[in-house]
Amino acid sequence: MAKMGNLYDATKCTACRGCQVACKNWNQLPAVIEPFKGNYQTHESTNANTFTIVKFFEYDDVYGPKWYFCKHQCMHCEYPACVDVCPRKALYKNEWGAVLKDYQKCVGCQYCVYACPFEIPKYHKESDMVTKCTLCAERVEAGGIPACAKTCPTGALQFGERQELLAIARERVKYLRANGFPNATIYGEHELGGLNKLYILGDVPEKYGLPSEPKVSSITTFWQNIVQPWFGLLIPLALAGSAASFFTTRFLKARREQQEGGATHGTHN
Amino acid sequence: MELITKYEPDVERIERFSFVARFAHWSHTITFVILLLTGLLLFMDSRWDFLAVVFGGYRGAGLIHRIMAVIFTVVPLVCVVLNWRGFVEWWKDVFSFGKNDIKFLLKFPLEFMGFHVDIPPQTKFNGGEKMNSVVTTTSCILVAISGYIMWFPSIFPPTLVRLAYPTHDIFMIIATMMVCMHGYLGSLHPGSGESFWGMVKGTVKADWAEHHHKAWYDKQREQQG
Ligand code: HEM
Ligand code: SF4
Ligand code: SF4
Repeated sequence: MAKMGNLYDATKCTACRGCQVACKNWNQLPAVIEPFKGNYQTHESTNANTFTIVKFFEYDDVYGPKWYFCKHQCMHCEYPACVDVCPRKALYKNEWGAVLKDYQKCVGCQYCVYACPFEIPKYHKESDMVTKCTLCAERVEAGGIPACAKTCPTGALQFGERQELLAIARERVKYLRANGFPNATIYGEHELGGLNKLYILGDVPEKYGLPSEPKVSSITTFWQNIVQPWFGLLIPLALAGSAASFFTTRFLKARREQQEGGATHGTHN
Repeated sequence: MELITKYEPDVERIERFSFVARFAHWSHTITFVILLLTGLLLFMDSRWDFLAVVFGGYRGAGLIHRIMAVIFTVVPLVCVVLNWRGFVEWWKDVFSFGKNDIKFLLKFPLEFMGFHVDIPPQTKFNGGEKMNSVVTTTSCILVAISGYIMWFPSIFPPTLVRLAYPTHDIFMIIATMMVCMHGYLGSLHPGSGESFWGMVKGTVKADWAEHHHKAWYDKQREQQG
């Protein structure tokens, strides 16, 4: 099956946050009220009961203040670090690109929380599990589209085949660059080997709170690719050494006793 | 073929480990093994999943891991306080690492395999035991610290949490490796069989002590007058 995903056009988003509400509604998540932080952003970042949020960024430029909005949620990475570290294989990637989770298997270890380069999955204390966006896989598989894309009134969010979305994005970025957004860019085509959430940005990714070169921490890669597969071999090695010694010590002792004509060497055992 | 040297109560024996030291040693051993088994469930791949039922599933294993972790940390600390003099004596000896300890370590591989080698007089702990003391203790401290970081990640900086994962694994492996060798040497290895009774009953045969820990033996004798 072709890869499916969302395309989010930051230049069309008015930050109405209908997507946030639709997401809460579909996933039956309770409201999370955070204290006022001096801007219109509802939450600091995603949290265990908020799978998507629209972030607000203010910049001054020669024409006056600029206001950027950007929807953040799980990127449904092609090569998801969260899946790599999950010791229970609770996280997995489905055939059309969504990164999903089997809640029966999750043990709440939170390894995924610290592996994700976008800091998306969050720990839910009450259930001792980690939660995140599912790309509304159940809706998609029933022939629908994700709740956020369904509700978006401006056309900033579209759902479809990744290849088709990329074609739309390229056209749009070409148009934006020619019309006053020289830094306009696509985000998610190549980042981390490709994301299933694609972005059209009117400016450089940093200004939208997105890392321009997202990277899985090298500590996490070292742990997964070197420590986990190889270091453990030292244990069977120690066991094998002991087993070998168990036999050689007894064999050599028997031989010594034979040579000494059966006289045991008392204190040496 | 005898597995462990026979315990001989009727010969002359000298004290090696106090009750508190032995209690600390064995409680630490038991919690270590339970921590290892419950932890390995997550470390090993899914072929070993069937073992999880032993601990009441993965959630049960996680809970047991945490309960044992607390005992694993608290009991040794309490024992250090209760047996402060023994603790100081142990570490003084460990850090008096000298020429005879290096000679021991060089010759030890042969002794390990069962060859006869002449080993210079050793103090209460031989070169190998000194090394084991340092490596195992350091590993256990690092495993414990990283473990608490993994248990309560939200109160630590993210980079530290990421660092805790490989640290927990690496020092778990080093400690386990040492424990495998140490456990074998302290029980089934014929050369050191008597030391097993030192940790179980608290005393060792005097002539064994003289043979294996000459420097310590002489000092004990001196003190006895
Ligand atoms: C104070 C001591 C310790 C604490 C607080 C601690 C804590 C933890 C925690 C929170 C986890 C995460 C897994 C879970 O949610 O169940 C873990 C995993 C693990 N622990 Fe410990 N632990 C301690 C000591 C030990 C010891 C002594 C060993 C073995 C000798 C050990 C072996 C492991 C292993 C193998 C894992 C799995 C790591 C992986 O997934 O790669 N732990 N520990
Ligand atoms: S964004 Fe994070 S949680 Fe989502 S798939 Fe990528 S690594 Fe996993
Ligand atoms: S918290 Fe759950 S989903 Fe995340 S790595 Fe651990 S077991 Fe996997």
